[in-house]
Amino acid sequence: MTRRDLLRRALATTSLPLGAAGALAAAGCGRTSGSGDGREEVVYWTGWSGNELAEQEDLVARFNREDRNVRARILTQFGQSGYQKVRIAFAGGATPDVMSTVWAEELASYALRGVLTPLDEYLARSGRDFDAEFTPGVARMLRVAGKVYGLAVTTNTSFIAYNKTLFREVGLDPDRPPRTIEELDEAAKRCTKYDANGGYLRYGLRPGGLQLWAYVFGGQWYDAASGTITANHPGNVAALDWLQSYAREYDLRKMQAFQTTFGSNETPSGPFFVGKIAMWQTGEWAQESIRRYAPKLDWGWFPLPSPADGSGRDNVTGAGGSVFVIPKACPRKEAAWGFLNWIASPGPVAQFCKAIHNVPPLIEAGRDPYFATDPLYRFCIPISQGQNAFGPPPTPIWPTFNREIGRVEEKVMLGGEDPKRALDALQRAMEKEQRMVHEDLGL
Amino acid sequence: MSTTSVTTNPAELSAAARSRQRARAARDTRTGLLFALPWLIGFTVFFAYPVLASLYYSLCSFDAIRPPRFIGLANFQRLFFEDDLFWKSLGNTVYMVAFGLPVGLIASLAIALLLHQKLKGIALYRTVFYLPSITPVVATSILWLWLLNPEMGLINLGLAKLGIEGPAWLTDPAWAKPALILMALWGAGGGMVIYLAALQDIPESLYEAASLDGARGPTALFRITLPMLTPVILFNLIMGLIGTFQYFTQAYVMTAGGPQDSTTFYALHLFNKAFLDFQMGYASAMAWVLFVITLGFALVVFKTSARWVYYSGEER
Repeated sequence: MTRRDLLRRALATTSLPLGAAGALAAAGCGRTSGSGDGREEVVYWTGWSGNELAEQEDLVARFNREDRNVRARILTQFGQSGYQKVRIAFAGGATPDVMSTVWAEELASYALRGVLTPLDEYLARSGRDFDAEFTPGVARMLRVAGKVYGLAVTTNTSFIAYNKTLFREVGLDPDRPPRTIEELDEAAKRCTKYDANGGYLRYGLRPGGLQLWAYVFGGQWYDAASGTITANHPGNVAALDWLQSYAREYDLRKMQAFQTTFGSNETPSGPFFVGKIAMWQTGEWAQESIRRYAPKLDWGWFPLPSPADGSGRDNVTGAGGSVFVIPKACPRKEAAWGFLNWIASPGPVAQFCKAIHNVPPLIEAGRDPYFATDPLYRFCIPISQGQNAFGPPPTPIWPTFNREIGRVEEKVMLGGEDPKRALDALQRAMEKEQRMVHEDLGL
Repeated sequence: MSTTSVTTNPAELSAAARSRQRARAARDTRTGLLFALPWLIGFTVFFAYPVLASLYYSLCSFDAIRPPRFIGLANFQRLFFEDDLFWKSLGNTVYMVAFGLPVGLIASLAIALLLHQKLKGIALYRTVFYLPSITPVVATSILWLWLLNPEMGLINLGLAKLGIEGPAWLTDPAWAKPALILMALWGAGGGMVIYLAALQDIPESLYEAASLDGARGPTALFRITLPMLTPVILFNLIMGLIGTFQYFTQAYVMTAGGPQDSTTFYALHLFNKAFLDFQMGYASAMAWVLFVITLGFALVVFKTSARWVYYSGEER
């Protein structure tokens, strides 16, 4: 034990009243070994809970049975405070050896602050071909300033689920869902039904998420090659114009009030399940909810449609979720990599994605028979593996940027602000924000 | 000779006693300090140091991961001239201070006056009114999310029975803050208890004397009860002022600042800057600005209180 270790341990003990901080130091890298069987122990923090945590625990147990040199110990850091604890742990240098408690949105902001281990060397040494193994969208998302800083074990596919019964009822072909934005708008209009007072009895679609729809309209938020903010890209403006057309056509407040009547789509009374909304912008996990809460629902799916004039992108999806990283402060990088390399390999990834109803970010894992035989997965996996899968861009200000995009959307949709003006203002604000952070980071 | 003179000389005797006394005093001080030490350490480490550190950080760009970088008053400049959400959140907070705080003070006072009656089972009523204020804020907030649901919440269902179409409450920027104020009334029991205690301290003789002079009902309320309560009103006002300027949990749990930033209160904006945006320095600057604002308001209240607060035994 070095003097520094001793000091850290002493500090950890005296700071026990701090509770969380004390626990962090003790559970983190302060530990040198200790499994008793001569294997090196790595501490792994996860943010998953419930069924997902149980599945991670199962994987860790499997790893511990199989690996001869390393033993992993899983600790849950669930919830918002868990993720704040992660930040405090980075600040204090009291991080565990491996953690999946970093959101894809935060990866660049941590990586550029120098608290994560670049993985390229480890990947190469283990004979892993990162760009061939991971889907292009996920690979782009995990690379910051030319280096790989994390590995993903799940990703998602965005699509629109639709109620075939309602489509039939209003004279739409249930087997030919909308293929363009224009057809989508038309279908949304035809499915909407009002009561005598102009209140909603049912509505077609309430699109949301400017961040994602911008890509559908050919836009982008950040140009990774030049490192510039592109918040007022013409495609982004077009997307926001289109979203605003829904605010003009429909009474969004009434729509929202109507929607809250039915609870969330994680309950049997979810509005899509009970036929109160015809189209639902969602992801592959929806299938499990429908199986559970509305097994009799006759439904289908289609990719986010793009404008008929070809100005946009087809098969756009978001990518993201939790990312596995090895903190820079970790003294057992080899052992940590041993565990990370295993848990982010095709077998464990397929097992985890099946269990939690997500799409695997590894192309090989997607070939698992389970995914190949399920019709929804057969639809989702090619989209998630396509070029139009967009994860969080690698700018250190993305957490702020992303939230501000949400604010702009709200200002335009509910506050009636002009899309172009709102995005121009966002462009200026985020340029300034990025300049400031770059200055801090010496970039 | 000289030895006897030492012991018999009264001046020198008292000098010896004094030095013994001094030694004892020093020992007492030491013991006292030792006893106070746990608190002193706690105060220094967990309060004084962080407060001073935050003052320094407010002059820095600091992401809590890398060392702080001194940038002078740039945070404050950004705060006042570039951050529209700073003004918006300050406005939202001042709204709560201007409307929510008085409404809450009056409600808790009114309830206290009603419950200061000699009725059968009054203790039960007092308990019932006090109970909500011991419920954890998060639990209360979740409960009120349901009550305030525009379509199927009890409040709007009740209003509908009266033929009133209730507002969309938390989903309408114009109604979100009033909804939170309404919710805060539910916790008026906290202030009520303090008023009740003070009401019981008002000497019965004052009311007797007044009634002999023919004063009753409202006159007694405005001439005796309220003046006698003013020290407690001042206390509740100051505590309420500080608490309202730091209004956070309910908005964090119920609205996350929306819709359209209408419930982004100062403390919520500060929290987002510190813990979501990595901007500890900026958040520290915000905290100090809030401190100065709160201090200013509290000072004004204190200064003017001389004009309206009566302490018993005081001549006017």
